[in-house]
Amino acid sequence: MIAVVVNGVSYERAVEPRMLLADFLRYELSLTGTHVGCEQGVCGACTVIMNGDSVRACLCFAVQADGAEIETVEGLGTVDDLNPLQQAFQEHHALQCGFCTPGMLMTGVDLLRKYPLATDREIREGLSGNLCRCTGYEHIVRAIRSVVGRSVVGRSVAGHER
Amino acid sequence: MKPPAFEYLAPRTLEQAVAALGAEDAKILAGGQSLVPMLNFRLLAPSLLVDITRIPGLDNVDDWDGGLRIGALTRHHALETSPLVRDRFPVLHAAMAEVAHLAIRNRGTIGGSLCHGDPAAELPGMVVLLDAQLQTTQRLIPAAEFYDGTLSTVLGADEILTDIMLPALPPGTGWGFEEFARRSGDFALAAVGVLIGGEVRIVAIGANEKPIRLLNAEALFNDASDIDAVAEAAGKEVSPEGDLHGSAEYRCHLVKVLTRRALRAAWERTS
Amino acid sequence: MNVDARPKIIGAAVQRREDPRLLTGQGRFVDDINLPRMLHIAFCRSDHAHARVLEVDVAAAAAMPGVVAIFTGADVLGTFNSIRATSRMADYYATELPVLAHDKVRYVGEAVAAVVAESRYLAEDAAECIAVSYEPLGHAVDVQANAEPGGPLLHEDAGTNVIVSRSFQRGDADGAMADAAVRVGATFRMHRKTPAAMENRGYVADYDPGRRALTLHSTTQVPGIVRDALEEMLEIPGNRLHVMAPDMGGGFGGKASLYPEEALVCLLSRRLGRPVKWLSDRLEDLLTTTQAFDEIVEAELACDEEGHILGLRADCLGDVGAYSVYPWTAAMEPVQVVSFLPGPYRVSNYRARARAVATSKAPTGAYRGVGRPISAFVMERLMDMAAAKLGLDPLEMRRRNMVRADEFPYKSASGIVWDKCGFMECLESVTADYDALRRQQAAARAEGRWVGLGLASYAELTGLGSRIAVAPGMPVNTGTETATIRIDSTGAVTAHFGIASHGQGLETTLAQVIAEELGVRVEDVEVIHGSTQGLAHGTGTFASRSSVLAGGAAIITARAVREQVLKAAAHMFEADAGDLDAAAGEIFVTGTDRSMSFRQLAKALYSEMGRFPKALREQIELQATRMYDPYFGTTSPASHLAMVEVDPETYGVTILHYGVADDCGRVINPLIVDGQVHGGVAQGIGAALMEEVVHDGAGQILTASLMDYVLPTAVEIPSMSVHHVEEFLPDNVSGFRGMGEGGTIGAPAALANAVSDAVGEDINVLPMTPERLYCLLNRDEE
Repeated sequence: MIAVVVNGVSYERAVEPRMLLADFLRYELSLTGTHVGCEQGVCGACTVIMNGDSVRACLCFAVQADGAEIETVEGLGTVDDLNPLQQAFQEHHALQCGFCTPGMLMTGVDLLRKYPLATDREIREGLSGNLCRCTGYEHIVRAIRSVVGRSVVGRSVAGHER
Repeated sequence: MKPPAFEYLAPRTLEQAVAALGAEDAKILAGGQSLVPMLNFRLLAPSLLVDITRIPGLDNVDDWDGGLRIGALTRHHALETSPLVRDRFPVLHAAMAEVAHLAIRNRGTIGGSLCHGDPAAELPGMVVLLDAQLQTTQRLIPAAEFYDGTLSTVLGADEILTDIMLPALPPGTGWGFEEFARRSGDFALAAVGVLIGGEVRIVAIGANEKPIRLLNAEALFNDASDIDAVAEAAGKEVSPEGDLHGSAEYRCHLVKVLTRRALRAAWERTS
Repeated sequence: MNVDARPKIIGAAVQRREDPRLLTGQGRFVDDINLPRMLHIAFCRSDHAHARVLEVDVAAAAAMPGVVAIFTGADVLGTFNSIRATSRMADYYATELPVLAHDKVRYVGEAVAAVVAESRYLAEDAAECIAVSYEPLGHAVDVQANAEPGGPLLHEDAGTNVIVSRSFQRGDADGAMADAAVRVGATFRMHRKTPAAMENRGYVADYDPGRRALTLHSTTQVPGIVRDALEEMLEIPGNRLHVMAPDMGGGFGGKASLYPEEALVCLLSRRLGRPVKWLSDRLEDLLTTTQAFDEIVEAELACDEEGHILGLRADCLGDVGAYSVYPWTAAMEPVQVVSFLPGPYRVSNYRARARAVATSKAPTGAYRGVGRPISAFVMERLMDMAAAKLGLDPLEMRRRNMVRADEFPYKSASGIVWDKCGFMECLESVTADYDALRRQQAAARAEGRWVGLGLASYAELTGLGSRIAVAPGMPVNTGTETATIRIDSTGAVTAHFGIASHGQGLETTLAQVIAEELGVRVEDVEVIHGSTQGLAHGTGTFASRSSVLAGGAAIITARAVREQVLKAAAHMFEADAGDLDAAAGEIFVTGTDRSMSFRQLAKALYSEMGRFPKALREQIELQATRMYDPYFGTTSPASHLAMVEVDPETYGVTILHYGVADDCGRVINPLIVDGQVHGGVAQGIGAALMEEVVHDGAGQILTASLMDYVLPTAVEIPSMSVHHVEEFLPDNVSGFRGMGEGGTIGAPAALANAVSDAVGEDINVLPMTPERLYCLLNRDEE
């Protein structure tokens, strides 16, 4: 039995120890925004935020998340109310097929919280653990650049006011 | 692939963890960044995973006689951002920046990386370079004696690494760390760490079955005029395995090149 | 409203309609589809590259928890009609598409048995317990060995491993080249790639036993082709057989052919009467998704003393894996290599041969650029080699040989006709700063830095119409696309297409086209794509065709609907249709302020009694279906310029500058075309510097994870400067040229030339990894 809080909502579920956190989110909680690309921790598509840190949901078992607070892409914003990072992605055409995008966004959130990202080089290094096969990364870097240091009244880049 | 089935325990004390590890075919789970990919490939099928991350007191970074005592469960990101590490062991601080990616650094632990023992990983090489003392639930092991082969340590099945002690370096010690990988964050094709203090220390990463001090190369070093000769010797002292990312010859060549660069940087930094 | 004030939608950087759902995790990809009573498949796959299957023992597996059924090749044999990628080509052997191997396995990873269970976890547990006994057959891994007779045959009935052989010539290449002032040649090698889309392949087959109807949710770029193929295999007619591609995480060609697993899930769903899902994991993707670009080309170029091309010869050996991909055939890639080799240059004498050789690897299929990355690599290297011999700058070499505006339409030496487009405009645009870059290079070299500049120019044929087959003699028509546009009783616009957008933003670009032509706003148009429902025929999205074909169909169909709209509005305004116009969702009498919304019009026509006399209402239809066939295709040229620095000690390659100038005709959405260029170039950089599928001598794949098949990250890809030349397109209703693949075509060539320039050695093998550069540059010292 595990208890998790995901995007502010509490859940209690019985899980098999080997169930990956990514599968727990996708199948048990029907939060399919977190995508699975490799199950090896290389591609970064499954990145979520657990207790304030970006992590690979494919390298974590749901049982390890017992008692944790998890943020997934579904918690950032809604189609009618995108958060500033999501808006920046849209404005800069930072997504094409959208499969890597949830992982990019959650990594972006953690990078913005933890690093100054003073240069594009730093942004690129921060993103180097998230593979994208569509965009060639340029627009993603521009989208994140546009949000760095931006003071957005009433909204944190990293969360969604409820 | 999906991992095979296993039992799971999350003990709250070291004693409980040690007892659990007495079971047949049990493995320690800490950050999971090395273990879980292997499970997801079904390369391993342990019957029991003992999650030690709920055991308190194993993730502190404290002064240790001018050096540092690092709890085995200290996450890579904590080491990366620790002012104590940056100030006292800048070579380690530099190496941490090369470790994988943020999401891996948020979860991976120093204990996990050391016990996994990938010879192309930065931390096993660092503890050898820094002459670390590795404290387990049973004994104290010098880093140089910790590895007995590729991905293999001298730890017993129910022995847990708890602390890593890094002895203080002499003031004015110069350092260098040079890595070459195919991409940012990948395992090193080769990496070299150098310290120039009272003595010179050169460690090659990714160039042998386990990280080693290049003693023959070290013996040739007196001052900056010896750098090329030392680098040449370093390239000959390693015996890397070739694979699809790089042949043995190329990796030897890299060790030579990176040793030269690391020595130059370390020499510049000595004071 | 003033006509001139009508908003220009085509050409505007409209934000994508796809984005809100994709940004908020509300997309619906195949693995997000979970149906009641759905079962999961895991495969037992061959670990032999070439072997006879003696026995498949499923007894232990069948007893495992959660297992519902296990199927082997023998269990499904005879329960479907087999299918082959046929062609009218001579010297071609069409291999049968295997659904599950029964007598032989021909590559490591080929599926031998399928476990159907309550969960993927349980299915894998059982699959591990299946015991297969094999009788190994001779190694058939090496393309050059397999091209010679006498070795083990992958397909005994073919009598050979050379399953395609084609030659052609124009003029007299041997004669023209015999006494040429300059001759350069080499054996060029491009190593095997895999598309590696971020989303692995997956299929959910949902058979409804009550209606005897099957819906397949598939990660497919070609729903129409798959549907028509499944109808042949399963004998379910198209009105009860639908293929739907939901949101898709990239394709790049790797999802553009029919797969064994795709057919199998349909068979099993029908057999079990329940929905069945299979999701590839990354290991299976790297093992079994179609691969590409694996060619050896011996080529020679001859010029006169001024650098004008006299003749070209090429022999292309393509490693096409174990099966001829459906429907494109194994000919597609090797033949395109030689068809496009002459490039955008004046070549009168050309002789070429292309052979497709079967080997024990995953089949070769479509991957962005399809053969043309190799054509450009070979030709552009030859151009630089010839320029070096002549002491000419590579840019001058291109200028002297590139087809000029007054030579269009130009029939290339392989028979491809280049229509009017911006060959020289692209070259001049991308080299605008060429002299400055050469000076930068000289300064860097003076400091001992290894900096090089490399150019690549190429032309593609995109948006192919019915006159041109994607591969020779391939019978599946891909030259048409149909649109159905309908205004419903709420005034909303729905448009159905047979294309299947998977990142290209076609829901947005096609909406832009329709909005402008029909006179509504982009947000009023809902584009339905990727589904065979609602359409008589379609194929999909591949070969840079969608903006030309679907865009063209959108235009002519929207115009037909617009005519009906104005006819209805004329009645309501009591005006002449010629005095009416429509824009931004309003129909208005020009020069006045009389207007009504599309919504008002639709309500009046459909729902309000007495607004239209019966006779008139019966003549008006606010919907139309039109098919568009561009007949030939559109020429899409580009030039790339790369500046690189090679570390003289580690041999790491850094890209300092990357520029692209392309002619994609009339741009629909500048954000989207830029994104396509960036993405294509990124894959081209990967292909040039790091990506390689590696097999050992026994056919075991060594690159079985994303740590070993090395994809570029944000650090390895530079910022690029991209310029679009919009050249007027003759005889094309839309003015659009196809685009999207060019990045992979130009980048390997430009980078090979740049690195050659940097290190002073010929780079004729890609990827040029640090290891390869080390060997190349140090072999003289041994």
